[in-house]
Amino acid sequence: MDIKEKLKQQLNLSDADFIKPLPVPTKWSQRFWDGAKQHKLLLKKCKTCGNIDHPPYLYCTECHSDDHEWIQASGKAKLYAFAINEYGVPFPFMPDLPYVLALVDLKEGPRMISNVVDCDHKKLENGMELEVVFEDVSEKISLPKWRPMKQ
Amino acid sequence: MNKPEFAIIGTGEVPCGIYPDRSEFEIAYTTARMAIQDAGIDKNEIGAVLGAVHIMGSEYNTEVFFGRLPEAIGAKGCKITAATVSGGGSSFSIRKTAEGILHSGETDTVLVIHAQRFSQFSANEQAKYFAAAGSDLEWDLPYGMTYNALAAMMTQGYMAYTGTTIEQVASVCVSHRKWANLQPNAMFHKKSLTVEQVLKSRMVAYPLTAFMCNVLADGGCAYIMTTAEKAKRVCRKPAYILGEASIYSHRSITNAVCRDLGKMHEFYAPIARKAYERTGLGPEDMDIFEIYGAYPFFTLMVADAMGFVEPGRSGALFESGETAPGGRYPCTTNGEALSFGHTGTGVGFGVFVEAVRQLQGKAGKAQVPDPKFLIEDCGGGAFMDIHFTIMGNEIPG
Repeated sequence: MDIKEKLKQQLNLSDADFIKPLPVPTKWSQRFWDGAKQHKLLLKKCKTCGNIDHPPYLYCTECHSDDHEWIQASGKAKLYAFAINEYGVPFPFMPDLPYVLALVDLKEGPRMISNVVDCDHKKLENGMELEVVFEDVSEKISLPKWRPMKQ
Repeated sequence: MNKPEFAIIGTGEVPCGIYPDRSEFEIAYTTARMAIQDAGIDKNEIGAVLGAVHIMGSEYNTEVFFGRLPEAIGAKGCKITAATVSGGGSSFSIRKTAEGILHSGETDTVLVIHAQRFSQFSANEQAKYFAAAGSDLEWDLPYGMTYNALAAMMTQGYMAYTGTTIEQVASVCVSHRKWANLQPNAMFHKKSLTVEQVLKSRMVAYPLTAFMCNVLADGGCAYIMTTAEKAKRVCRKPAYILGEASIYSHRSITNAVCRDLGKMHEFYAPIARKAYERTGLGPEDMDIFEIYGAYPFFTLMVADAMGFVEPGRSGALFESGETAPGGRYPCTTNGEALSFGHTGTGVGFGVFVEAVRQLQGKAGKAQVPDPKFLIEDCGGGAFMDIHFTIMGNEIPG
C-alpha cells in the first residue's frame, strides 16, 4: 500500500484531502503561468525604468508605470538557502516527504521560493548552480522547479 | 530626545496552554478585570477599549468589531472601541492606536486586550493557516511551503553565512525554557530542556527540530495604558514608553529589503539605534532585552541588532548562559513563543506585558533585580516588519 492510502486509513481522509493547492493566476500574473505552461520562465520587466518585479504586480513597484514586457529568463540560478521538510506538512504534501524548499536566486536578479528536485539532499550546498525544470501539475499549470546544473 | 508621553500602569494575564473550555471572551473579560485591579483605577475611567483580532477568525472578532468588550467589562466611560491587527506586530500597532487616542485628548486611559483560543481548530487547519500566514498562496504554497520551512531556510542561511552552530541555535531554546520555568503562566513552566534534548527531538524541517519550532496555544493578556502625566499621578511605578522605531520590509520573504541572511543586523540595527537615540540611552543602559523571536534564529538576528553583542556572535552569547536567569544579559524573560507558548498575535503582547511586569517589579520568580530600562521588539508576517521599543520605570536625563 502506498503512503497516501496508508494515511487515508490512519487519519480517515478522502482523496479530496490530498488535492494540492495550485496557483490561481491574477490579471497581472497570467502571462507568467501561460509561459510556464510552455516551459518558459517569464519575468515582468518595466519598459520605463527597467525594474523586474517578481512576483509581478498590477504596475511597476518602482515607478508605477503600466508599460512592461515579459522577458524570458535564462533558467539559471544559485541556491541561496534551503530547508528539508520532514514532518508536519499539509496532507497533500505528506506523500512527498522529505522534500526540499529553497530560496533560489535567478541570474536576472529576482529571488524565488521553489523545490530543488533530482538531487541527493546530502549534496545541497549554499551557492550551488541550479537550472530550471518544469513540472506539469494540471492542464493549465506547470510549476518551475530547480535541479542541480548538469556538468 | 523625546519627552515620554505614555505609560503602562497595570497588566493582567491568564495561563498559556491548551484550554479548549476557556473561551476567548472569558480570557478577555478575565484579563481586563485583572489589569484594572492591578492598575488600581476605576473601570469607568477607561475611555477606550482596544481588542487584538483573533487569529484564524472566530465569532469573538465580530463581537470585538461591534463593541462587545466595553459592555461586558462595564467600561461605562468608554468613548472609543476598535480592533487592530498586523500579525505578530499587533502588540505594537495596537499600542500605536492607543497612543493616537491618548494623543487626541479624548481620554487619558486606554484598555488593551488580547485573547486567543487555537484549540478550537484542528492541527491540520492550524498548519494550513500558518502556511498561508508566512507564504504566498500563488507563489509558495504550491511547492509545499510551510511556516516551519520558512523559518528553517532562514535558519539554514543564518548559520551558513554567520558560522553559527546548530548547538548555539538550540541554546536559545534552552535559555528561553529556563526563564519559562520561573513563569507560572508559561505553557512549559514545569518542563526542563537541554541542548541535547533539543537536538535529539524529531526533525521537522531541516535544520529545525521539533523543540526549535513553537507550539500554538490558548492564552491572552491585557494592560492599562495612560498618558505619562496620569501615570505619574496614579501609579507608584509606571512603565514609561521612552522611545520607539519601526521598519517594514516585505510580504514575501523573497522580496526582503535585506537579502543577506548573514547581515540582517545591517537592516535592523539602524532601527534599534533610532529607538535608543530617541531616549538618549544606549544598549549599555539596558537591564533586560525582551526579544520576540518566534523561532531561535530570529532571536539571534534581533540580538545581533540590539547593540549588546557583536553581530553574528549572538549564538555564542546564548551558548554561554549569559542570557538565562542570573546572566549578565537577561533575554526574553517569559520564554516567548518557544516556551511560554505561541498565542498568535499574542506572542508580542506576552513579551510586552512581561516587560511591564519587570519594570513594575511584579515579575515574581523571574524578576531581574531592580531593572530601570529595557528594549523590546516585535514583528509579524514572514518577518515583514520590526518594531523596537525602549521602556523604563524612570524618565532618563
